[in-house]
Amino acid sequence: MAMDKEELKNKIVEFATKKAKHKSKMYIKDLYKAAPEAKPRQIKNAANELVREGRLEFFSSGSTTMYGVPGFGKSEKDQFGELEE
Amino acid sequence: MADVKKHDTPMCDELKNGPWPSFVDDIEQKGLKGKQDCLDLLGQLELSYVHKETHWKHGGIVGVFGYGGGVIGRYSDVPEKFPSIAHFHTMRVNQPASKFYSSAYLRKVCEMWDHRGSGMTNFHGSTGDMILLGTTTDQLEPVFYDLTHQMSVDLGGSGSNLRTPACCIGKARCEWSCLDTQQICYDLTQTFQDELHRPAFPYKFKFKVSGCPNDCVAAIARSCCSIIGTWRDDIRIDQEAVKAYIGGEIAPNGGAFADRDWGAFDIQKEVIDLCPTGCMWMDGDELKIDNKECTRCMHCINVMPAALRPGTDVGATILNGAKAPILDGAQMSTLSIPFIRMEAPYDEFKDFVDKIWDWWMELGKNRERFGELMQRKSLQEFLRIAELDPIPQHVKEPRSNPYVFWSEDEVEGGWERDIKAFRARHAA
Repeated sequence: MAMDKEELKNKIVEFATKKAKHKSKMYIKDLYKAAPEAKPRQIKNAANELVREGRLEFFSSGSTTMYGVPGFGKSEKDQFGELEE
Repeated sequence: MADVKKHDTPMCDELKNGPWPSFVDDIEQKGLKGKQDCLDLLGQLELSYVHKETHWKHGGIVGVFGYGGGVIGRYSDVPEKFPSIAHFHTMRVNQPASKFYSSAYLRKVCEMWDHRGSGMTNFHGSTGDMILLGTTTDQLEPVFYDLTHQMSVDLGGSGSNLRTPACCIGKARCEWSCLDTQQICYDLTQTFQDELHRPAFPYKFKFKVSGCPNDCVAAIARSCCSIIGTWRDDIRIDQEAVKAYIGGEIAPNGGAFADRDWGAFDIQKEVIDLCPTGCMWMDGDELKIDNKECTRCMHCINVMPAALRPGTDVGATILNGAKAPILDGAQMSTLSIPFIRMEAPYDEFKDFVDKIWDWWMELGKNRERFGELMQRKSLQEFLRIAELDPIPQHVKEPRSNPYVFWSEDEVEGGWERDIKAFRARHAA
């Protein structure tokens, strides 16, 4: 049965938050494990919607894009400092 | 001169002495006109030459709202020495199909980038995007706004996204093009907007469209899905023009190679003997082609463009899986569909793309290119998921693996057996 989108989003956030305590940035593939019954594309769409809502964030390694949970791991400021004027 | 500080860069300066125009000159000139970023960039490059290590940090949380691609974060790891390039992000701008620009547009982009970035650009990146080099995080949204609202262009792809589709010049300038490459490129860009801007895949995915088998965008070597124009009927021959080539009235190769005297044009030596399948011959003064043997190498057409032209029953050949050599060496695309009609709205092609993307998204490993998945899971598996019937052209070489693997539905009765009935016949 197709899963409700909100339910799927909540599952992803729950899974990502749990995982983020050990590894703060994850691949889209890792997020598939949040709801093995959902199709990869459903998860991709839900995860990208979560980013637009600010509940997840993108992290770029430069060549690959990963997902993070805001507040976990390095934020931009931690990593690179404030911009000097 | 503007108030800028030039660093001492003896090793970079050495690069100005070569026979070719140097990027150091270009960057320095821009810097001396008032862009400290450019001079700091050279300063950091010099330091990298001294240390033999890069001083860039790569990646991070940069981007514009709602997009997961288009911006590549770069930070200096020696910002105290080179403060103006502490942030030096790259932005990719989706190029128009075949890179047709107006000078007014280019001027506008340059003015905007002078104002909001380092003023340095890269025309074009390998994927085809216009690359704007070097800006700060706080300028990303304003640049994005200017590009989308004032110049009606969008960011390109980066990260684990569909990368900006690219195409050759196509029918706009080229008589050989069997496809409307620009239309295909534009349609794919529009159709797959979500995949282009938001991470969707285990790694990057590229479409490239070439109008004919000359493959001017090198789709076969560089793209996960190569769309290459081809024809099904016969090469069109103008026998009068063939005679004119033989008689020396028309220069072969469109007059290229005319800087040396290579002697009179010899159709036997320069065309017929070079045909890879040997499917051409002269019958008296007429050129004959056994078209069913032609592999569309384009050599004869390239040499005698006034006499030979591609056929008129046109479409595309689809190949998959090319990549650069990060893992397991470089790989060219493998033939999947020998001929497909490419007419808008390209439903048949898009169905195929959906199938292969679903497979890759499910089974692809992190940072595994599509071609690597094909290699890992086998061509048989790829053909099965793409619902393509195997054809002789899919076979690269005689089999070296003696095992035949059957799937359950290919075997009468499947894998299920009645164990009781078996035991009634055989003691345990």
